[in-house]
Amino acid sequence: MKPAEFEHHAVDSVEEAVGLLTELADDDVKVLAGGQSLVPLLALRLASVGHLVDVNGVTELATIADGDGLAIGATVRHRQVERSPEVAAANPLLAAAVRRIGHAAIRNRGTIGGTVAHADPAAELPAVLTLLDGSVEVRGTGGGRTIAAADLFDGYFTTTLEPEELLTAVHVPALPAGTGWAVQQFSRRSGDYGIVTVLATLALDGDGRISAARVAYAGVDAVPLRSPVAETALVGQTASAELWTAVGHDAAVVLEPASDLNGSAEYRRHLAATLTARALQQASERAGVRA
Amino acid sequence: MRMVGAKVPRVEDRRILTGRGHYVDDLQLPRMLHAAFLRSPIAHGRVTHLDVEAARAAPGVHAVYTGADMRELSKPIRSPLSQGAVPEVYPLVTDTVRFVGDLVAMVVADSRYTAEDAVGMIDVEYADLPVVMDYEAALDPSVPPLFADLDSNVVHTATKESGDVDAAFAAADRIIEVTLSQHRIANVPIETRGLVADYDAGSGELTVHAATQSPQGLRLQLAQTLDQPMDRLRVLTQDVGGAFGLKGNIFREDFCVPIASRQLGRPVKWIEDRNEHLMASGHAREERIAARVAVTEAGDILGLTAALDLDMGAYPGMPFSAASFTGVIALLLPGPYKVRGYRCDTRVVATNKSTYVAYRGPWAMETFTRERLIDMVAAELGLDPAEVRRRNLLEGADEDRLITGPTVRGITTRECLDRALERIDYPAFRTEQEAARAEGRYLGIGMAAFIENAPGPKEMRPGGGFTGGESAKVRLEMDGALTVITAQSPHGQGHETTLAQLAADEMGVPFDSVRVVHGDTRLTPFNIIGTGGSRAATWGSGAVMVSTRKLREKVLAIAAGQLEIDPSDLQIVDGVVSPKGVPGKEIPLARLAGQMTLMPQTAPPGTDPNLMAEERFTGEETTGSGWSGGVHACIVEVDLGTGGVEIKRWVVVEDCGRIINPAIVDGQIRGGVAQGIGSVLYERIPYDSEGTFLAGTFMDYLLPTSAEIPPIEIVHIESPDDDGVGFRGVGEGGMIVAPATLTNAISDALAPFGARVTEQYLPPAEVLRLAGVVGAGAA
Repeated sequence: MKPAEFEHHAVDSVEEAVGLLTELADDDVKVLAGGQSLVPLLALRLASVGHLVDVNGVTELATIADGDGLAIGATVRHRQVERSPEVAAANPLLAAAVRRIGHAAIRNRGTIGGTVAHADPAAELPAVLTLLDGSVEVRGTGGGRTIAAADLFDGYFTTTLEPEELLTAVHVPALPAGTGWAVQQFSRRSGDYGIVTVLATLALDGDGRISAARVAYAGVDAVPLRSPVAETALVGQTASAELWTAVGHDAAVVLEPASDLNGSAEYRRHLAATLTARALQQASERAGVRA
Repeated sequence: MRMVGAKVPRVEDRRILTGRGHYVDDLQLPRMLHAAFLRSPIAHGRVTHLDVEAARAAPGVHAVYTGADMRELSKPIRSPLSQGAVPEVYPLVTDTVRFVGDLVAMVVADSRYTAEDAVGMIDVEYADLPVVMDYEAALDPSVPPLFADLDSNVVHTATKESGDVDAAFAAADRIIEVTLSQHRIANVPIETRGLVADYDAGSGELTVHAATQSPQGLRLQLAQTLDQPMDRLRVLTQDVGGAFGLKGNIFREDFCVPIASRQLGRPVKWIEDRNEHLMASGHAREERIAARVAVTEAGDILGLTAALDLDMGAYPGMPFSAASFTGVIALLLPGPYKVRGYRCDTRVVATNKSTYVAYRGPWAMETFTRERLIDMVAAELGLDPAEVRRRNLLEGADEDRLITGPTVRGITTRECLDRALERIDYPAFRTEQEAARAEGRYLGIGMAAFIENAPGPKEMRPGGGFTGGESAKVRLEMDGALTVITAQSPHGQGHETTLAQLAADEMGVPFDSVRVVHGDTRLTPFNIIGTGGSRAATWGSGAVMVSTRKLREKVLAIAAGQLEIDPSDLQIVDGVVSPKGVPGKEIPLARLAGQMTLMPQTAPPGTDPNLMAEERFTGEETTGSGWSGGVHACIVEVDLGTGGVEIKRWVVVEDCGRIINPAIVDGQIRGGVAQGIGSVLYERIPYDSEGTFLAGTFMDYLLPTSAEIPPIEIVHIESPDDDGVGFRGVGEGGMIVAPATLTNAISDALAPFGARVTEQYLPPAEVLRLAGVVGAGAA
């Protein structure tokens, strides 16, 4: 478990990073942020690189800005997000989702940009972006662009970033006042990736009817998924335990998850149904109206 | 103050918890090289091409060894204790790989990085052979044996029969048949395997620093296999980060590394990485028992037959092969219950998996099987499982025996059961369970009992049993300190604390002035097991006690001569010899020892100024039943939405005899329970049908963390209540009985669904399958 030889480039600026990514594009170059996924892959020699561009010293990537939603720099640590008063105020769902990432030691080191760029289909942050129609900012030698979450995730561990582009920031919209939210995850052990993770937001009108709903999944497909089935079925309905159960069931049956050591596709669908119902219940409680 | 029985803080903790322990990987020797292995990526195949020239030529590489090289440099590896058919095996494979992780070649280089780079430069090709991945394939006579020099993949069979089986079954109202199985798991200590071999070409001495449970066992095997004279072979072990039985084994890597050091004349280090560890260090359990139980409608268990298969993987373990554990399973399977007829047929089979190794209570299949069967009998007959146990338990009366022979006079299983059920408030739980079911919540209770011969009754261990007892050395230093040299090789058990407690009390010296030394074969008495098999509490303790007593006698004889008083009128308190009740004539031990060491000619006539003692403890002084044991009970709630199992309570009532240090005993029990919970809910070594290994990291092999382990309530029964050597082993019990307890609880929770729990591994998907919530194959 010792990585093969590579060259390490510590950079101070985005320009320098992007320059190296372009210059070394034909020579197995990767960006190193928190290293929580990449370093084990290198150590196991499941991946090898010629060059690592280490962006940990790029100070401009390490801040959280709160304006029109949250703009979180790529090297902001999970722990920073988890403890940020700005995040707690603007988007408590994000804080709760980040708290489900690994253990404290992992969150102290792992970065927001890293988890999004790594695009693990079971990871929490990509699902949050998908749920809330967030986006990422990327920079290449030709300048910057913004990629919407819906256009970002392109398959297992794959994004639509170009190889010479650097992800610089993640944009997460604020939750509108009064919106209820929930993060429901089931994992074998505390700190594990969720086998299935369900994120939900609900808004209720004055009559207890659902005026807006979003539901997203991690761990059920190659990319994080929104559930049009659930969202369509919820809007306009009156909140009730029966509704949550029915929507959970209907949303889950159309999923096509893979099977692995933690359980079959059928098991994952069952989990998705359970967790969807629980998420909707919890979100409705937080929206201020009991089901 | 008497130290035995006190919650003395562990003397080991200060250095270990502050990062000042010394583990084998901490060792940095001048000119040290580093080894890495090329391991087989396939389960079974012939090596058709092996070219190591590029690796040999790589910068920083000092040597590359192949199986052909090792055949020249090593004798075939053969354990003096092996049972059953044993193939001829060398440190590296000579032509055939037999599991994923099998040893093909070794690189020795300037660094581990360089060594791994060079491993990648070795050009190797394999021709696949058919794999043997399950019992059926291993038992199939048409499948060729994994080893050409063996006749079969069935490497050992035996039968144990006691009582009248036919009569027992003929008298039964009902016969219940079921096959129970336990999955493959692994010990996974936090410290992996590792050793540093240091051959001194000048003296011809080979020093091996090893993470081992048994320095003497390793030394003996190395001497034989490497043809190394024993006067020039020393094994050293300092702190060891856990082992749970694994490091009592001797591995093929253990030969490769010293061979390289001897060839190169330089120290060579190999520290196993976690990926190698999970894949190739060895795995445990994987057994099945096809059982038949003959019962009456009232719940009397009349007869039991069992057909046990154990999957030992490809290579025989050393020094103890898997067959030594099937024998213990057959011995203990009926447990402390009144069975009239019993038969157990055992088979050990070879498959294309990593080697079977001992893991904390290696025979635990007996407890899992028996206690699961009792719950199944109760369910089948519509009886309460606690009542079925009470009805069939032996009392521990003078004439009581296991049906397999040993006496169980004085066992307290029934008292343990009663107190466990009282503590957990069994009747109240049944009421709560009923109410919860009405709300669609599924609670369950499980209980299980075990006994373990740690050390066993006297007739099981004539002359000190299989090792002939155990010795220890004690020496009074010139400053009055007491050095205790033990044959135990602790790796987490706290022997530096417990043995010091015993020696302090025996000698009459302060606890702080006792130093326990272990892990150096030049100093320590021989004990082939080192620490393992729950032996230390009795054998390690007894050896220290009888040796310290002997030393005390010597000291008292000298003091008596000096004071012209009878030794029986003397006492030693806080390191000072004095006549009982006569102040003013004190002789501090430091003064006595200084005088005897510097001026031994002044020793009173007829006394021995050599203030050391080494006595052999053969177990004559033991008191009590000889059986460690107890009953665990736990309460779970199963979430049918997720398959998750929440453990709400865990109660332990245990009897390991007189307790030396309650904090250490509790720690042993909690650790064992945690591993038992891991075995049921989290841990499993997975291979696919082609023999591919699927759990190369802790992402896939799930160990429970502290967040998964509930508070564990512990009640101690100390039988007998005397001050003899009544200490019994407690290291394994938690792990032996916890899987049975937890599976019984989950089974009870799922009773409304008619679930029949026959496998020990119950991950969430399997729990839901048992409940009928998801279909077969969901797990």
